[in-house]
Amino acid sequence: MTVLPLRKADALPDAPSPPTLWDPVVRLTHWSVAVIVLANALVTRGGSTLHVSLGWAGMAILGLRLVWGLVGPAEARFSAFPPNPVAALRHLGQLAKGRPETHSSHNPAGAAMAYALWACLAVVIATGLVMTHGRTPMQVAADQAAVASGDWSALVKDGTATEEDDGALRHLAGEVHEVTANLILFLAFLHVAGVAVESRALRRNLVSPMLTGRGRRRK
Amino acid sequence: MSADLSTAARRQSLALTGFLAVQSLAAVFFIGDVVADFRADPASVHVIFEALVTLALALGVIFGAFALRRTLETLRAQEAALDVARGALGAVIETQFQAWGLTPAERDVGLLALKGLDVAEIAELRGAAQGTVRAQLTRIYSKASVSGRAQFAAFFVEDLLGEGLPKAQAV
Repeated sequence: MTVLPLRKADALPDAPSPPTLWDPVVRLTHWSVAVIVLANALVTRGGSTLHVSLGWAGMAILGLRLVWGLVGPAEARFSAFPPNPVAALRHLGQLAKGRPETHSSHNPAGAAMAYALWACLAVVIATGLVMTHGRTPMQVAADQAAVASGDWSALVKDGTATEEDDGALRHLAGEVHEVTANLILFLAFLHVAGVAVESRALRRNLVSPMLTGRGRRRK
Repeated sequence: MSADLSTAARRQSLALTGFLAVQSLAAVFFIGDVVADFRADPASVHVIFEALVTLALALGVIFGAFALRRTLETLRAQEAALDVARGALGAVIETQFQAWGLTPAERDVGLLALKGLDVAEIAELRGAAQGTVRAQLTRIYSKASVSGRAQFAAFFVEDLLGEGLPKAQAV
């Protein structure tokens, strides 16, 4: 049975409001990246086939989200939340006063967070590719299987005249990889804290639109 | 019926999203494979062929994304239209209730009656005696000059059916 709205419940029909439910691509990419980041930072062993596979999966998911930022529906497109540090700081100021403005997509601070996380993910993925010589997870698995069976030639296959340069570059990539990965964890923590504070200030559950959108009727 | 349609469309968009994700995974792994093969042997026909196949897969992801966007937009447009229709009907009912001079209590009872609740249910919802509800309904029918509940409901449905019937008969 449908409930007829007899009176308009919304006091401010003109104020833009964030989506009551993000589209499925945004939700899927959001949670996949969250799982991949947590798994690779805390669970899998660096350099293992699983770690490299998850990294490649993360590259695919990030790629899909970036394509979606160009062709997706309005609130998922980059044009709906352009990077704007000034607006982001202004939003944080409003948040400190407890009266943040609402936006039809990410708020400016959330948008800055999204771009920062994407940039860090891109850096981690790129340095990871340098560290593994751009080998696909299938190749990594094959090499590791070879080494495990006693054939160490897989390890010296890359040994060429430029090995020393290559070693230095890989070492640098490894450092950047690790620092950026920790930065992602820190940003993710800030992101969760920001969602909690903003949800409180707006008296609106900002997590449910990223899950199933349930509870939106309670508005 | 519309609820079923939108559930089906929603399920379809979820399935498309899953498919899109799998496709992107495949595309990225194939691109990596092509790059590796290319570094090993740039001139082979195999690499060129594989590169074309991978390009097709990547294009498939992009076109899949376009198709999904269109599905989502259609879904939203339908929901918006449905909301407008519901809101419009609600407004029509409210205006008509006012024109009949129903009291606030009678308006509530009238609305519940339109939604198909029987006297016992309305009484329970409003915490009133069944006799009171029955008396209120009688007063509503008399103010609206209708014979009873069927005609009362038909009063609002009639407007919705007004233009649909001749067309249906013509077919």
